[in-house]
Order: sequence, then structure tokens, then C-alpha cells
Amino acid sequence: MSEEKHPHHEESSPREPVKKLDRRDFLQGVATAPVLGFFGYALHKERAYQRAQLAAKLATSTPAENLPELNVALIGAGAQGSVLLNAMLKIPGIRFRAVCDIWTDYNLKRAVNQLGKYNFQANGYEDYREMLAKEKDLDAVVIATPDFWHSRQTVDCLKAGLHVYCEKEMSNTLEGARRMVLAARETGKLLQIGHQRRSHPRYRHCYEKILREANLIGRIVTINGQWNRSVQQELGWPARYAIPQDRLEKCGFKSMQQFRNWRWYKGLGGGPIVDLGSHQIDIYNWFLGARPKAVLASGGIDYYSKDSHEWHDTVMAIYEYETAKGPVRAYYQTQTTNGSQGYFENFMGDQGTLVLSESEAGYRGSIYRQPEAPAWDEWVRLGYVTAPRVQVAKRELEINAMLDVRESVSPDEHGIPIEFHDHYHKPHLENFFNAVRGTEPLHCPPEVGYETAVSVLKVNEAIEAGKRLPFRPEEFEV
Amino acid sequence: MEGQKYYRLQMLALVFLRVMIGWHFLYEGVAKFLKPNWSAAGYLMQSRGLFAPIFRWIADTPSVLAVVNQMNIWGLIAIGLGLILGCFTRLACAAGIFLILLYYACNPLLVGYYYSIPLEGSYLIVNKNLVEMAALLVIIATFSSRYVGIDRILHKTLRGRPEPNLINS
Repeated sequence: MSEEKHPHHEESSPREPVKKLDRRDFLQGVATAPVLGFFGYALHKERAYQRAQLAAKLATSTPAENLPELNVALIGAGAQGSVLLNAMLKIPGIRFRAVCDIWTDYNLKRAVNQLGKYNFQANGYEDYREMLAKEKDLDAVVIATPDFWHSRQTVDCLKAGLHVYCEKEMSNTLEGARRMVLAARETGKLLQIGHQRRSHPRYRHCYEKILREANLIGRIVTINGQWNRSVQQELGWPARYAIPQDRLEKCGFKSMQQFRNWRWYKGLGGGPIVDLGSHQIDIYNWFLGARPKAVLASGGIDYYSKDSHEWHDTVMAIYEYETAKGPVRAYYQTQTTNGSQGYFENFMGDQGTLVLSESEAGYRGSIYRQPEAPAWDEWVRLGYVTAPRVQVAKRELEINAMLDVRESVSPDEHGIPIEFHDHYHKPHLENFFNAVRGTEPLHCPPEVGYETAVSVLKVNEAIEAGKRLPFRPEEFEV
Repeated sequence: MEGQKYYRLQMLALVFLRVMIGWHFLYEGVAKFLKPNWSAAGYLMQSRGLFAPIFRWIADTPSVLAVVNQMNIWGLIAIGLGLILGCFTRLACAAGIFLILLYYACNPLLVGYYYSIPLEGSYLIVNKNLVEMAALLVIIATFSSRYVGIDRILHKTLRGRPEPNLINS
């Protein structure tokens, strides 16, 4: 009975001895262990890739110990002056000695008080010339006054033996800008123009690694850039702190209203194309390594009241460049009535597209590879760009949509792995102070700032002329 | 179960399936382990359906959440290793099935508009998690690890059972 029940039973009966563990058992037992080896290897590669990405992301400047302290003064403590001050308070090795501002009751007081909180006993002045006469220990000056003052103040400070960081636009006139370049040359002092993207880690990464070293997007053929801003009210002021009329007029302002809204007035500023556009057109010149050949523009005071706005609130400009690789056409627009899609620059090459912005929200940095271009695996591995996010349709509807044969296939989207979560102007200011200490070259010396000023100021001329204006190469030289 | 006989091809296919699932579990666990500050809180907070209050409570209570996080990470790693190496396979499978059912209970894909918005792909009640769970059931019901796996060594030495014979072997 028992035999019939267990003829094919796999279990060995207690009476039969079990086969001992032999080599076959052992080998088949551990046969899957090498899979762990593969796993470990794949994991190792994945981690190495992620480490490279992380290394590229960490764009912090190395903290320097024992920095020689620099004595610094600020001229112009308004909106932009405050921004620069906040950035500078985070830079080590700076001692603030003085602040100048004609709005003594408001801007000047605020700046001096703020510095006091950080234990800087800064002297406040209304007139910068008085400051230059009285402050003997200064090394450098930061100028953040309205554009039409830049030239005079920069030249005076350079001649007083100080290095100067001057906010952009260099000047509202080419004459003024030229004087600044010449003064810097004569005195041998450093002059940095405040196009802060020239020191921004993401822009430098794109310029040095993506364009120059890897040439990832191939030959740039067109550029598209914009700065769209939504409607803004005029800036007001607390009535009891109004600056006395005689002081306003002495400093070139007709009224408090003009003092607060100087950017819109001819003779004081250049309007949005200069305030906003100069940053981005500077990048066009930088990335192309060329100066524009011609510009065509259209603009107008389309929206705001002409009583308080003398400059165009909407500008569309087309630049033509002749670069070493061939012609490039660059479009730029700025508007102050609608903020859709904010601000960015889009460089379009035959092998890819680079979309870049100073903003950490929105566009930040993306780079797209054309399908027919060679793969970017090597650059992903080096951490120059992130791994691609393949464009897949997320919903059924998109899969079923009839694609027009004229549509190009969506390219892979890679990211630029540089995030920057600090004050936007800090790297450029740091570059300036390091140059003063002799450890770095300036990223935006006056000659470069002058080229940008020429490129940008021409747009307003082109709008007035109503036709395409060429640039002569000599125009860019001082 | 002990009466089962397989062809070599069937057995290799089962071993391959077991190793694939094991690799998946192992990497899920390792990836969470290597990520600093990984927490299940995000997934738990998204919970919808019948057990949502329990899962949300876990996410809201830091002490419980900490334990759950560690158990999840090490559970996944242990299951993954067990399946790849073929070691304590049945136990690993059972634990894996339990975990997957837990994940599914957290975000069940039932019929109806609210439930049927998936995070990726198109699913009607059955999603990839359930398919993997079904695969684990297959592993549990067969004994591939007694052929290729540490269980073969363990069964022979500790319980005195020889390896099952393959057909035509």
C-alpha cells in the first residue's frame, strides 16, 4: 500500500540516504549571485552620473579666507542701489564707508540705517563730490544712479583714484559712455559695467562649456529674445518726504514725479529697451562673439500717457549679425503691457536650441537636440547637460491627434544643470571686487559695455528713423 | 507542489522572472535608501479610496512615518535580495505580495472618473503593480529557487530534500 501511494514521491523515504551536497548543487545554488554584480555595476554608473550632475549644479563661489578688506561707497541708494546693497552684504571682505543719495530723508536714511544694522558706520552724503573730497580711504565705488548721471559720476570717481562698478546702462548717450571708457584708460582704474549676466554661473556655463567647448547647438542661425512685463503704475512717493524743488532741478529733475519715474524720460533714461533690453542684447553680442551689422526697429508709446512717458513702451527690433560661421538674425522685443512668458533668450542653431533666462522660475535653462544631430550622451555623462526628458504625449487624445506632416518631430529636451538661488547681482559684484584684489579679470570691462551701449541706443534711433540702420565697425571702437 | 515537473526551459524562464522582479524590488529599495530624506509621506498623502484615512494618519504622525519609511526601504531590499539569490524565496514572495497590495490599497484604481485618472499609462483596475503581484504568485507556486538559488543548498543541507528532477534531464 505504501509503495503504491508513494511511487513517484519526490521526498526520499526516511530509509534512503539523502544525496550529499555536490558541486552541481553548489554551482546551481549560487548561479544567480553574479546578477548582484551587474546590479552593483549599474548602480555605480548611475551614481557617478548623478554625482556629475550635482557637481555641475553647485555653482557657489569658494569662500575665501583672509581676504584683504575693501572700503566701498555706494552712490545712489534707490531701488537698484538697494538691490546691490543687499547682494554686497553677503560678500565677505567689504567694508561700507559711505552712501550718497539726493533723497536724504528717505533713500539715504534707509541705506545708512540698514548698514548700521550690519555694524557698518557709513557716512551719508547728499552730494557725491563732497563724499569724494572727505572720504580718504575708499577703494571702490558702486554707482546706481539714473543713467544720465553715470558718466559724470564714473569719470569723477575714476579720476579720484577709485575703481568703479557702474550699473547698466553705461550711459544714456554715447558721448557719455565714450568719456567713461577714456577715463578708465587714462587712470588705469577698473571699471565694471553692471551687465550681471556676464558673471551668472548659468550663462558662463552655457558660454564656456555648451557653446565654445561642446558646440552643442551647432551653427546659430537665429535668436529670439524678449522681456515682457505687465502693466505697472507710476512710482509715487510719500508727500512729506518730497525733495525740495531746487535740489531736484540742480540734479536734473523737473519734478518729484520725474525723479521717481526717470526711466521714461528723454535725457534721463532710454526707456524699456535700454532698461531691460540692454541686458539681453548684451548676451546676444557675447554669445555670438560679434557686433551687429544693422538694426531695424518699430516702437511706440502705445499704451501709457504721453505726458509722463516719453520713451516707447513697446519695442520690436531685428538685428543682423555677420559672424564667423555666417549671418545671424536676432529678434528682440520688450513690452510693458503684458508679462506673458516673462524674459528669456532663445538661441536657435542647426543642431539644437538653447533657451536661457536669469529667472529661476520659468525658463531657467533648457537645451533641445535636433533629432538628426549626433547624440549628446558624452556631454550628459560629463554633466554639461542633464539627461533628456523625452517628449511623450501624456494623454490618449494627443496620441490620436493627426499630426501635420509639415510639423517637425519634437526634439529631446535636456536641462542646463545650474541652479542659482542667491542674489542675481552677487556674482558680478564679486567678480568686480576680486578684480580689484587682482585675482580675476573683469567680465564686463568698459569696452564691452560700450559695444552694448552702441548696439542698444541705436534701436531708439532706428525707431525714429523708420528704417534699417547699419552699424559701421568704427562706431564700436573708442 | 512536490509532484511538479518542469522542462529545463520552463525552469529557466521562472528563474529569469524571479530575478527580474528581485532586481526591481532591490533597486526600489536601494534608490530610496540612497536618496537623502526620502519619505513615503508624499505617496501616502495622495491616498484615496477606502483606506485613505489610515494612510494619511501614517503620513501625519512622524514617529509612525519614520518606522514605516525604514521598514519600506529595508523590506524592499530584503525582498529583492531574497528573490535574486533565491534565498527564502517563498517568504520573500509573500512579503512582496503584501507590500504590493499595500501600495495598491493606498491608491486603488477602481472604476469611475475620480479613480481612473492614472499618473501614467492607461489602466482599468489592473495596473503594473497588480501584474507584478500576479508574477510573484507564480513564483510562490513554483520552486525555481530549489533549482537555481540558495534555497537549493539550504534545502539539501538543512532539510535533507534533494532538488526536484527536471523532465528529460
